Amino acid sequence: MSADDRPRRARGNVRAWLRERVPGLPREPAMMPNGASFAHVFGWVLVMLLVVEAATGAALAAFYSPSTTSAWASVAYVQDKMPMGWLVRGLHYHGASALVIVAGAHLVQTALWGAYRKPREVVWWIGVVLLVLVLGFAVTGYVLRWDQAGYWANRVEVGIAAGTPLVGGTIKELAIGGNEWGNLTLTRFYALHVIVLPGIVLVAVAAHVWLACKHGATALKPGKPAPRSAQSLRDVLAMAAVFAVLLAYVVQHHGADLAAPADPSAAFDARPLWYFRWLFELRQRTGSFERFAALIAPAIAAGYLLALPLLDRHKARGLWLGTLVTMVTMIGALTMSSFVRDQGDDELAKREEQAAQGASRARALAREYGVPATGPRDLAAGLPMYRARALFAQRCKGCHDATSNDRKGPVIAAGHGNRDWLRAFLRAPSGPDFWGKSKLGKSDDAMKSVELPARELDDLVELLYAQSGALDADTAKRDRGKAIFSQACTDCHSIDEGVAGASAPGLGDLGSRDWYTSFIGNPKSAVHMGAERSEMPRFDKDLSIVDRDALAEYLVWLRTATPKDVATLGDL
Amino acid sequence: MADDSNRRDVLKLVTCGVGAGLGLAIAGPVVRLVLAPAGTQTVTTPSAPLDLGAVDRVKVGAPWRRFDVIAPVVADAWTSARDVVLGSAFVKRTSESKVVALSAICPHLGCAVGYERETDTFLCPCHNSKWDGQGELAGDAKAKRSLDPLPIEIKDGRLALTWKLYKLDTAEREPA
Repeated sequence: MSADDRPRRARGNVRAWLRERVPGLPREPAMMPNGASFAHVFGWVLVMLLVVEAATGAALAAFYSPSTTSAWASVAYVQDKMPMGWLVRGLHYHGASALVIVAGAHLVQTALWGAYRKPREVVWWIGVVLLVLVLGFAVTGYVLRWDQAGYWANRVEVGIAAGTPLVGGTIKELAIGGNEWGNLTLTRFYALHVIVLPGIVLVAVAAHVWLACKHGATALKPGKPAPRSAQSLRDVLAMAAVFAVLLAYVVQHHGADLAAPADPSAAFDARPLWYFRWLFELRQRTGSFERFAALIAPAIAAGYLLALPLLDRHKARGLWLGTLVTMVTMIGALTMSSFVRDQGDDELAKREEQAAQGASRARALAREYGVPATGPRDLAAGLPMYRARALFAQRCKGCHDATSNDRKGPVIAAGHGNRDWLRAFLRAPSGPDFWGKSKLGKSDDAMKSVELPARELDDLVELLYAQSGALDADTAKRDRGKAIFSQACTDCHSIDEGVAGASAPGLGDLGSRDWYTSFIGNPKSAVHMGAERSEMPRFDKDLSIVDRDALAEYLVWLRTATPKDVATLGDL
Repeated sequence: MADDSNRRDVLKLVTCGVGAGLGLAIAGPVVRLVLAPAGTQTVTTPSAPLDLGAVDRVKVGAPWRRFDVIAPVVADAWTSARDVVLGSAFVKRTSESKVVALSAICPHLGCAVGYERETDTFLCPCHNSKWDGQGELAGDAKAKRSLDPLPIEIKDGRLALTWKLYKLDTAEREPA
């Protein structure tokens, strides 16, 4: 025995060992009676794609959380935060498209070659059922992301099913789990998608493959027999090629899209997955018959495919195949027409652009701050100081924002109350950014600018700055500032906590959180501006202490913030 | 004939090679994703001191008092949850300016330890471990060490406790 023969011998032994234990294994390596061909690769390419779906699906299931508060969040987490999450999700999503395309090609080829004829009818029927099951995966999978796209598509799909005569209502309630879309919708579709459908598909694929192997490949014309291994090479090359195309597509599109979280109150231009677009277009074109069309058309298509082996017994093969070609052409034409219609709609493009912005904003928030336990609809509430900023926008912005046309008080922005701000204020209290727009600033009561040498002004600034409780205040400068304050300011102001000045605000604790809470509560109080001088209304009646404290926290934060920090907080 | 069979062997080798490459290409990203959470901090609790309320909630000379330790924000994978109870701690004020705290997590297997005022002892309901009023092991116990102290201080008149978890069932105290 030469060294070259050894591995072959070993393989022979393994085969013999297995044959004894697994009855029914072929005695000889299988042959392709009519030769190997790339025409026979579709089946194994489909098996490969199913394996891709199963493997990526299992990985995604390890991250997915089927509830209305966490489904979108968990998908966004995989898509935007997990290493290779986008790739796995993209392979799963676009892999399903690849399945539909290759399965469609497989079906058309089988039909054209007449491979559904005796004795292969059962193989064909199982194949048609498998195609329907693949579409079932698409329907049950698309809703799981619980984004606007998946949510609204599901509402439409279930809505169509609900139009079924007699049992429609029951179908709907069974599908969504009760009367309304909610947690049970997700758990039920999830169970269908990851347990029920895979179980059925596994059995159906096993039966389909087993039967197909038993019957052997159909050939258009007789060829020279070839060993099975020659076909295997072609199978594996085709699988690799299809996977390479899929991978390239997924990488190019950075995986699958993810719209903004599902929101029943926000309108959305729902579009089904591309392989259901022909039905969508059919509905658009059938007017009041839309329900009928949406239910009947797929039933006719599936019924026709199932009946094909029976119809084709007679000699009129051309007629039946002609019908099939017409059907496929119509589906293609309707699909094209639907996409072309959307392409020409500028208004739709604008709305889609808006939706895309909403989606990228929601995802950015989720990435940065996580999704609140109450669900993605409260995403913005997870923003730092959200409550305070929302209140500020409602109640304070009009009079205090630099961009406001009705501004009456000092500008409140990043750096409010820091050393530079205090220095600028002391130099020109009635400057345009300070009291300039207020009645007070224009009156005789207005504070005069503080004329002091730069060093002394610095010390005075430090004293006022230290009132806020800022940890970086310089105590030596502050104490020198106190001496200057006693000489220059005490005629009008006081620096003792809670004590009003003789004719102007008390400045003790100025800029601290408690001071802001108190000032916002009642600026007209004697210790603050006084009833005469303050145009600002009291907020202690219509804002709770919690809200005033939240605003105070925000104002304290602004002191050390830069405009960039404010921008980072994002829009509300 | 030998040529033919060599050719077949080469073809089989190519088939297996391409097949293995394809398998790896599919498995690679999937395995990477599934392994990703290992070694990642998926749940983040605050490392800064947590507020247990005003210091006068505990009086000098009073027995241990149990406090819920509540984190303002806990990030758990995709969720950012507010006001999350992390566990509880026993706090005692030993003097005007000093407080001490013990974790209520049993150092044996992590059950919640209770405190009995009458006897000034801590008791774990799961395996009957006992600790005295100082948190030191008392009697024959399954637990291998005293109750875990938690860093606590009085800051601006409030109790500021730092939440810490330790490895269970070890004689030495090691951070978890």
